[in-house]
Amino acid sequence: MELELTLNGDDATLTVARSASLLDALRRAGYTGAKRGCDTGDCGFCTVLVDGDPVKSCVQPAVRTDGAAVETVEGLGSQDDLHPIQAAFVDNAALQCGFCIPGMIMRTKGLLDANPDPDEGEIRESLSGNLCRCTGYERILDAVDDAAGRLARTDDVAADGGRPVPERRSCAGPAPGGEQE
Amino acid sequence: MSRTDDPDDGRAGELPPDEAERDAGADAADDPAGGEYATVASREEKVDARSIVTGDARYTADYAGTVPDLAEAAVLRSAVAHGVVTEIDTSRAAEMDGVYAVITPDSPSVPDRPYTSAGQSYPEPSPWDLHVLRRRVRYVGDPIAAVAAEDTATARAAVRRIDVTYEEFDAVFSPEAAMADGAPRLHDADEVENVQPGADYERNVEARVAGEIGDVDAAFEAAAARPDRTVVETEWETPHQSHCVPEPHTTIARRDEDDRYHLVTSTQVPWHVRRQLAHLFDVPVRDVRVTKPRIGAGFGGKQSMVIEPIALALALAADRPVKLEATRTEEFHAMRLRRPSRVTVRSVVTDEGDLEALDVSVVTNSGAYGPHGMTASGAVGKKPLPLYTHTPNVRLEATAVHTNLPVAGAMRGYGAPQGHFAIEGHMDEVARELGLDPIEFRSRNLIGEGDLDVASKILDPGEGHGRRIRSCGLDECIDRGKDAIGWNDVDQPEEDHLHRACGVALAMQGSGIPGDELGAAHIRMNEDGSFVLQTGAVDIGPGADTAMAQIAAEVLGARPADIVVQPSDTDVSPFDYGAYASSTTYVTGQAVKKAAEDAREQLFGVAARLLDEPADALTARGGAVRSERTGESVSLEAIGYESIYGDDVRAQVMGQASHSTDESPPPFGAQFVDVTVDERTGEFEIHDLVFAVDCGVAINPDLAAGQVTGAMHMSYELAVGGGLSFDDEGAPEVCGFRDYGMPRTDDQPPLTPILVETHEPTGPFGAKSVAEVPTNAVPPALSNAIRRAVGVRVSDLPITPEKVNAALDTQ
Repeated sequence: MELELTLNGDDATLTVARSASLLDALRRAGYTGAKRGCDTGDCGFCTVLVDGDPVKSCVQPAVRTDGAAVETVEGLGSQDDLHPIQAAFVDNAALQCGFCIPGMIMRTKGLLDANPDPDEGEIRESLSGNLCRCTGYERILDAVDDAAGRLARTDDVAADGGRPVPERRSCAGPAPGGEQE
Repeated sequence: MSRTDDPDDGRAGELPPDEAERDAGADAADDPAGGEYATVASREEKVDARSIVTGDARYTADYAGTVPDLAEAAVLRSAVAHGVVTEIDTSRAAEMDGVYAVITPDSPSVPDRPYTSAGQSYPEPSPWDLHVLRRRVRYVGDPIAAVAAEDTATARAAVRRIDVTYEEFDAVFSPEAAMADGAPRLHDADEVENVQPGADYERNVEARVAGEIGDVDAAFEAAAARPDRTVVETEWETPHQSHCVPEPHTTIARRDEDDRYHLVTSTQVPWHVRRQLAHLFDVPVRDVRVTKPRIGAGFGGKQSMVIEPIALALALAADRPVKLEATRTEEFHAMRLRRPSRVTVRSVVTDEGDLEALDVSVVTNSGAYGPHGMTASGAVGKKPLPLYTHTPNVRLEATAVHTNLPVAGAMRGYGAPQGHFAIEGHMDEVARELGLDPIEFRSRNLIGEGDLDVASKILDPGEGHGRRIRSCGLDECIDRGKDAIGWNDVDQPEEDHLHRACGVALAMQGSGIPGDELGAAHIRMNEDGSFVLQTGAVDIGPGADTAMAQIAAEVLGARPADIVVQPSDTDVSPFDYGAYASSTTYVTGQAVKKAAEDAREQLFGVAARLLDEPADALTARGGAVRSERTGESVSLEAIGYESIYGDDVRAQVMGQASHSTDESPPPFGAQFVDVTVDERTGEFEIHDLVFAVDCGVAINPDLAAGQVTGAMHMSYELAVGGGLSFDDEGAPEVCGFRDYGMPRTDDQPPLTPILVETHEPTGPFGAKSVAEVPTNAVPPALSNAIRRAVGVRVSDLPITPEKVNAALDTQ
């Protein structure tokens, strides 16, 4: 079936199997930034934003994102023009193998979009759905705190290659999909 | 015994001449900038950081879209713990739409010779007891058949349609049961090749190693008759631990256009995989190519060749490329794990606190097969014992036993975490018995700079006296760790039922395997003054590529950004034993340094012509070569253009070197824990975990500190969480992160790394290793802290409130 969505700000049509997860759909379309770690929603390596909310894309049926705005790590900055969150991860040496990092960065973006000035407890709680085995989390927590500061100092939301930030969907009921911990 | 009583007759005192020369040469060459390293030992951005944060970095699975006609695969695994497959019916699977191949042990493309999954040097110190696919199954998870299909969903659906009939055998799950009379036998000795010392397959013993220094029995006999001697005996137990490796084991295997086998695979040991695949598939080594792309960490889990042969056999059967990606369930029970252990420690100590004898007995549970069994079991004792190298009488016996459980393998620390839990827990008990401060007692017996590490050679008594300790910052680690944790000024909580205390445990490791490593490097200069560096170093995440770039840049006077580091590829890169045993920075780093020095000599030749100065008056720094005599300089870029396009002698600057060594300088560390325990419930709260480490000169302190916190996290998980459990039939009960309980951001205590720098004269720019040693000591430090807080000892991991509470109840 065909899936119509806004992908990193652009209209996109993805052809997906009815049973496919959003992760499968994205990766088959070449968006390999989101990683497959568990297929059960436990590790968070596949985290992307759906209508602004962090979602574990491995347990999100692709069909439920029809019409949604999906953001992946590919939609942030480029290597020579990093988004402030990405720059904070680089500058804080908040990465080693990197497999969890795209998910961590999207989780961080979801957090900071909703809460621009989180305290350490809020950061720890927000990131608890995303695992990392390399860093002991210390540098990642520092990076998120640093990213919040950078974003607060930036008038524009991001130097993210000029892509518009998708509007958050306003709806009375709960957003389709949403957080699944 | 005092430190002047040197047990070494032959190697005491000065360095041997070759080493002395090497040190002198290194000192001069290390210091091109006149006292400060320009790039080594400084913060540098990780070379792959930007590709990682943008999602551009490609791991094996991310290449799937670039391989035409790629099939995806799934594996059928044994549902019984012990038995033999009497019938496999694959017809329903084979006839499914989209299925390209179904293989079983009888398929022509499936090798039938035994091998070991251990990615070790040749010949492997592990038994060849595995087959790619098996009819005789020995644990729930043994691979029986596999499918290649148009996508993973189809492959998995096909696997579910394979009908298997088993004849089941009795199974054993503990080493004690496996060694008992009448226990079911797992392996037939006649069918195992490369059998290891001490093997007794009649009793399911895979290997047994033992060694002794002095006369331990005599020391215990003498102690029994002397009131001023104390004998202490303790027993310790550790469970399975999962690597929880982020990227599942993933392989893309194909036969290429030249009819060679090409694998893109998530491995720590490309060269061992190449050799072992060549052996299995009976082709020359040169006809196998192994490419290591970005790796989503390894921690030893990817030092094993587990899925590659299945993927390759499927690719041959399906006649198309095949991707095989382990599921998370498979990661938890069908890849490799840290081996459970039971360790008994007995010691004799004088009233003054001098250790007279240590007797250590280790039994580990290898599970169904034997990769790393002998070596990791021996390491349980060999790694921690050198801390107390002055002990005159030491015995170690280590036995690796087969059971019908998943297969143990290599894991960060490699036996040392199990051993440190036992030895460092024991040392606290001895100190307590004698009424001594645990740190003062340890310090009295501790190894130090200039000492000979006798104990490390305990299992090889014929090969001399062990390694000389040329750098040791253990005292400073203890001092700075004590200060950071607040050892001397712990405030007690106001509530009477809460008790707070600090615990300590010391740690050591090695840097590579002495006499059994090779790293090689090749570096060539581009015309713009940049360099391409090829090493076999396998960066699995922590930053080896960055460290290698810094080492080369330091020698060449270049910026690290001017060094392009190529990922390991057996067709392209020089040889390397692989990323294990804390070897990369120490061994391969030295090869890179030597190769860069070789290149520097050549570019000095070009610069000498351009500057009209003798080569020996030149230095390389700041992107240029300069004459110290005249102050004239010429840029690396000018040298690059001259070497390739110049009017004079045209020759590309290309340096190369290999490095192997008998040295394996240990990094040292001191782990501290600050804990409050509730004596009513056994619940405890860890306020801080501090690990102070002496890793020599830290190449890139940022990356080194990151490795320390990551390893502490893993050690903390071993101490309080994780662990696998199995039902009565041997089926795994933990198949995912949620069940396993890996620490998350909201339950991970703060981690404080402290880098204590020394200078290791045999290492590149003074470096030794740092990746493993911080994995070793949270369990004993926490157990010791709880013992000091409320007086009870938890001697089996994980340490849980329930266990503390149970111990308090029986106090």
